[in-house]
Amino acid sequence: MNKDFYLGVIGLAFAGAYYAMAEAIPRSMLADNVGAHGLPRVYAAVFAVLSLILVMRAVLLRLRAGAGADGEGEITRIHLTRAAGMLGIGIFYIVALPWIGYIPALAVLTAATVHYQGGRITRRTIGLTIGGAVILWLIFVVVLDIPQPAGLWPEIFAR
Amino acid sequence: MEFLLPAFKMLFTTPIVPAAFAGVAWGILGGALPGISPSITMALLLPFTYSMDSTAAVVLLASTYVGAEYGGSIPAILIRTPGTNAAAATLIDGYAMKEQGKAGEALGISLYCGVVGGLVGLVVLVLMTEWLSSVALAFKPTSYFALGILGLSVIASLSGDSLVKGLLAGVFGLMIASIGTDPVSGVNRFTFDSSELLSGIPPILVMVGIYAISELFIQSGAKQWDQTTQKDLRIKFPSLAMWKRLALPQTIGSLVGIVEGITPGAGGTVSSFLAYNEARRWSRHKEEFGKGSPEGVAAPEAANNTVACTALIPMLGLGIPGSNSAAILLGGFMIHDLIPGPMLFSKHAHIVDGLYLGLLVATFAMVIVGYLFMTPAIWMVNRPKPYLMAFIFALVMSGIFAVENSLFHLWIVLGFGVVGFAMRWFNVPFLPMVLGAILGFMVESNYRRSLVLSGGDHMTFIDDRISAGLLAFSGLFVLGALVRRGIDEWRRLSPREG
Repeated sequence: MNKDFYLGVIGLAFAGAYYAMAEAIPRSMLADNVGAHGLPRVYAAVFAVLSLILVMRAVLLRLRAGAGADGEGEITRIHLTRAAGMLGIGIFYIVALPWIGYIPALAVLTAATVHYQGGRITRRTIGLTIGGAVILWLIFVVVLDIPQPAGLWPEIFAR
Repeated sequence: MEFLLPAFKMLFTTPIVPAAFAGVAWGILGGALPGISPSITMALLLPFTYSMDSTAAVVLLASTYVGAEYGGSIPAILIRTPGTNAAAATLIDGYAMKEQGKAGEALGISLYCGVVGGLVGLVVLVLMTEWLSSVALAFKPTSYFALGILGLSVIASLSGDSLVKGLLAGVFGLMIASIGTDPVSGVNRFTFDSSELLSGIPPILVMVGIYAISELFIQSGAKQWDQTTQKDLRIKFPSLAMWKRLALPQTIGSLVGIVEGITPGAGGTVSSFLAYNEARRWSRHKEEFGKGSPEGVAAPEAANNTVACTALIPMLGLGIPGSNSAAILLGGFMIHDLIPGPMLFSKHAHIVDGLYLGLLVATFAMVIVGYLFMTPAIWMVNRPKPYLMAFIFALVMSGIFAVENSLFHLWIVLGFGVVGFAMRWFNVPFLPMVLGAILGFMVESNYRRSLVLSGGDHMTFIDDRISAGLLAFSGLFVLGALVRRGIDEWRRLSPREG
């Protein structure tokens, strides 16, 4: 089956879940005739119909064109695995940020991205990533006066 | 002429000039990087605009758009890789000129025609937006609802290959807009007991996630872009004889840019290719096209720079973004609690004047910055991709946290990065979803408010003439897009049948 079929199936499941959640919205005494759940239910129904069209169209195309009709399109499986790695780096950054603080977390994020993208980790790379993190810290915290997490360091050094 | 004095004062009392120069410089550098579109270049700046003066913030973003449209032609001419989609038409003759040792001349023509196109676009923007907004001053809730529907009807022409997928994306955007406190009853919807979701998901997070983060994900699987052997290059502006020769393609490019810019969904890419074709059709030197014709560079560059201004007409006048970049600029307005559309001109006229002035400064700044930033832009294109990606990732994550000092926002942005990647995987267009997310609140709140006022009578939308007109126009717009789609499909199939 082609990608549209899977998109349609995911869409149908999502529409079902969204409809259930819309139904569960509490009814308010202050509500108008449409209600807080009114339009979300319509959205879910339209989403389901559109998803169903995608599924049906994908099945029809498959029947007409045969098994060889499915292409990979713009994004391939290689992109998928590479993107998963980038996502992992992003998740690590968000988890680590409140613990190790902005500058170390950002230095790790940039070094990990450089390494993951095929760059070599050398002394120069480490210097650049730490320097870059310090420059961004200066821009945000000192110039723009926007605080970034300090991590556990102030607590540790206060002891 | 009485507006000239306040405008002159504004130049010195607000940071318009530095914002315009900074925006153009950032735009040229961002536009020069293959894979980084003008909208992504603008999205990267969005978090920084939170703490800025409102006028400076919108000028910075709009100038970035202007700069990026020129910046995109640099790698198109030098390394045969368009920095922006709109620069793909410039590549045809621009790269051929570079092969003939005329890279400086090609870049000079690109810059000069970009400036002329930008000025033409700005004049049209000022004339049309004011008129459009004066009509919209008589709007009631019914009219606002109909206006939202008109905005959503644009999805019909923004859906790319599949109308169903465009509609799916649009409805998904409406679903995102329904998160948070209900606008009428105050009930919480889809908040999962999270206090951070009570005010909904800010559109800025949606945009940065789907445009910037998903692009990082995609680029991580793409190969390193080509590099130029040139380390330094001097822009060569056209001679007087060349100016005369470029007059016709420039006029064609500007006219195409005006029409395509006002039409939501058409954008710079369509206009630059259309301008290229028309310039070739009307040229006395048709045989040179494709082999290094200066006219082949002039027409698309004039067109896409005109579009950079005229695409803002529906966004400023009606609050309907017709392109990705206009949607990001709309996000910039919303950050400062400015709602583009009719009320913007009466309540925040100084911001609009500032934007016009900023765009004017940005257009001229392009000459100076474009000249001075050629070497840094070439340097940037030649940087190893891993370092550039790391820099962009760091910038996005730092900027988003800075918006409200919220780790939750970082999760949302990363989540929308995954959504954006999935949409690219399934070939679902972004802009319909952004439209839904932006217009959803306006559509729902005004729909329900209108019904409360009319006692539940749906005829209220027809009784209001403006609303009826806008709804009819929406219907015609959808019908027109469907007919055009049908004709394209018929043309595509007919040769095979023949």
